[in-house]
Amino acid sequence: MDFLFTISLRNLFRQRRRSILLGTAIMFGTAILVLANAFAHGISEVLFNEIVSYVAGHVSVSFTKGGNANNQIFHDGDRIRAIIKERVPSVKRVDEAIGVFARAIGNGKADNVVMVGMDPSGEGVDEKEMEKYAKAFTFINGSFDNLGDSTIENPVGLSVEKAKALNVKYGDVMRVRYTDIHGQTQAARLTVATIYKPSNVFMSVPIFFHVKTVRRLLGYGPHDVPQLYLIIDNPKRDAKRFADSLHAGLKPPLAVIDGDLSFRSETIATTLLCLRTDSASLACADSGLRLISQTANDSANRKKSVIVSSAFAAATGMKPGDTCSVAFEGKFDSSRATVRLIVTAIADTGAGIDGNVVLVNEKDFYKAFYDTWPKSTAAGTGPFRPDTTNGIYKALGGEWLLVPRSSTTKDMMKLYREIAQKGWRAIVVDVGSMYETASMVLNLEYALNLITFICVMLLFFIILIGVINTLRMTIRERTREIGTVRAIGMQRVDVRNSFLIETGLLALISAVVGTIVAFAAMWGLSRLTFKAGENPLGMLLVDGHLFFAPTAGAIVFFVVLIVGIAVVTAYFPARRAAKLSAADALRHFE
Amino acid sequence: MNIIEIRNLKKNYALGKTTVYALRGIDLAIEKGDLISIVGPSGSGKTTLLNVIGCIDNATEGSVKVSDREITKLNDRQITDMRLHHIGFIFQTFNLIPVLNALENVEFPLLLMKKQSKNEIRKRAEKLIDEVGLRDYLKHRPAELSGGQRQRVAIARALVTNPDIVLADEPTANLDSVTGEQILNLMKDMNRIEQTTFIFSTHDANVLKYANSVVKIRDGLIVKEA
Repeated sequence: MDFLFTISLRNLFRQRRRSILLGTAIMFGTAILVLANAFAHGISEVLFNEIVSYVAGHVSVSFTKGGNANNQIFHDGDRIRAIIKERVPSVKRVDEAIGVFARAIGNGKADNVVMVGMDPSGEGVDEKEMEKYAKAFTFINGSFDNLGDSTIENPVGLSVEKAKALNVKYGDVMRVRYTDIHGQTQAARLTVATIYKPSNVFMSVPIFFHVKTVRRLLGYGPHDVPQLYLIIDNPKRDAKRFADSLHAGLKPPLAVIDGDLSFRSETIATTLLCLRTDSASLACADSGLRLISQTANDSANRKKSVIVSSAFAAATGMKPGDTCSVAFEGKFDSSRATVRLIVTAIADTGAGIDGNVVLVNEKDFYKAFYDTWPKSTAAGTGPFRPDTTNGIYKALGGEWLLVPRSSTTKDMMKLYREIAQKGWRAIVVDVGSMYETASMVLNLEYALNLITFICVMLLFFIILIGVINTLRMTIRERTREIGTVRAIGMQRVDVRNSFLIETGLLALISAVVGTIVAFAAMWGLSRLTFKAGENPLGMLLVDGHLFFAPTAGAIVFFVVLIVGIAVVTAYFPARRAAKLSAADALRHFE
Repeated sequence: MNIIEIRNLKKNYALGKTTVYALRGIDLAIEKGDLISIVGPSGSGKTTLLNVIGCIDNATEGSVKVSDREITKLNDRQITDMRLHHIGFIFQTFNLIPVLNALENVEFPLLLMKKQSKNEIRKRAEKLIDEVGLRDYLKHRPAELSGGQRQRVAIARALVTNPDIVLADEPTANLDSVTGEQILNLMKDMNRIEQTTFIFSTHDANVLKYANSVVKIRDGLIVKEA
């Protein structure tokens, strides 16, 4: 094989001009392919690292209350943080992500804004991220330190563009109108504490607050958390894995409220459970409870409606239409909350809810539950705990509703539409990684690569016609040589292989040179500075420069592909050369 | 002992719509270690006969035994091996591989055989190059050698595998008379030293004196053996 390689290599250099011409074409194609791939991958890297991780975190946990995507709140934030710590111990930082659409009124001008909370000096922000912040914001007046200044009334940071749109200057007071997490329209006075020049168009729309300020303005309680973004060390490797693990850890326990039921003059320790009102749960309740007075659906749709077992009704003397009240202790508040309920249905005994238990319709149960998060838990002891094997258990609501993991942005958006339509009363918890959030970004990279690939393959088609022609000419010129080596004793397969090696070497050398040329072009192009201004394409730049992210895997793939295509193309002419009769080849004269 | 036995060998070529009867029934036996000259005018069938004996062209009819093997019944792989192991070729136009130097050209058949180590191959090739008097031209490529030197390299290449038979098709046709004589002397010496059977074709009457016996051929038939 050594000597075949030597002969092939020398033959390659023997026809220098032809090899250079063909090699240049292959080199050019390879360079475009590598360059375009590095550019497409660079765009996705920029979108991922510079934008997606800011906008969606590496892993995110979102909460939707009352089916309203703008109502992002969970009332037992410490519990969620503890689960995160347990499931993702290596988490670098957990950011609270608050973004609310609002109307801002400046000096005689108004504009739509997004109120965004941030804490650039918060725990877990390392130097690298500080540098990123510094690059993303060029301060014209003040700095983000001002946002945390408690002596300023609601300090806010604006982009130059936004300040101009609102006709406000540094130190001016402006107003903002927004809807808080309780769904009430609010207004607030804000002080322009900093004005900055953003690095990309995305940063010019929001107005920035310290997260504490925006929490207060929007009405978040001390134990409430908005959407959470997890920042991890190696998102590419771990984001999906951590999201899966966190999702498993966020499986909701059964929601229970242990309290004291007061009916007439009696007080009885009772457990309230949530009867879900989706059609599947109601069907399950209808068949499992064997309601004596009415259907579960009728009961569920009545305000304050509850179902009790016939045994409990007999013990307490309650009958349909009676009103009772249940007082229970909150987890975060020492005062007791009271909820008034109306008995609307009695369930037959033996349905699995025999005991001091009241099944409360979903709407009223969750209102009571989330208004005052109860101290009682399903894991603790109480007047009643349902048998998990009982059919009715499936119809009982959990402390929250955990939705399945979405695999793409499209699935995620579909899920949120579904949440809004179904009007679930439980807080919907969704765990996502940046890959699902930004699967469209990945699709963009895929599409760019595909377009480039198709274009370059067309180019290669032309090049390959060149390979075939060149090889035909070469074979014609070397017919007597083929005859000679066959006469000496070279087997057909070796003759064929010598041509294949020659073509393969030409393609390999050209592809390697093409890769080097592509790297040189990347180096040169990434040194050019572009002034994108407000052009959205500016987001694809890093510090005003084009960003290329070549990957070893892609380069090896392209080189192997190019060599492979060249060798496959050369196969048939090479085989024809090998099949030449030695006598005929020796008789050949040009 | 006969190294070549040919019976009723016929070879026809299709040339357009006509058939050329190149060999019309040759019977020939050649002993091992002989130095035979095949003579005849152009188109008499000399080269065709050598090509059939050398296993680079197949017979249309008849039997050809080379080194006790009936070559008309071999497949392409076997016949290529036959050429490699038993037959050496010297061509009128030298037919050296232009990208290899003199030493590499001589090594080439041994490399194809894949039987010996690189060192053994190098030693054997250098010995042959030495015998043909080209020690100082080992690293010269064919384009840097004269016609005579190229033919010497070709002779060394033909002999390097220690073949049973060396076939030379008009080996002096492209050489001046002095060089041609040197080449023929060299072939005669090699025939004596290596005990290899040499068969060469020529239409030059002066060349005949170098042969032990002469086969005269005309119109595809042997007209005289002497």
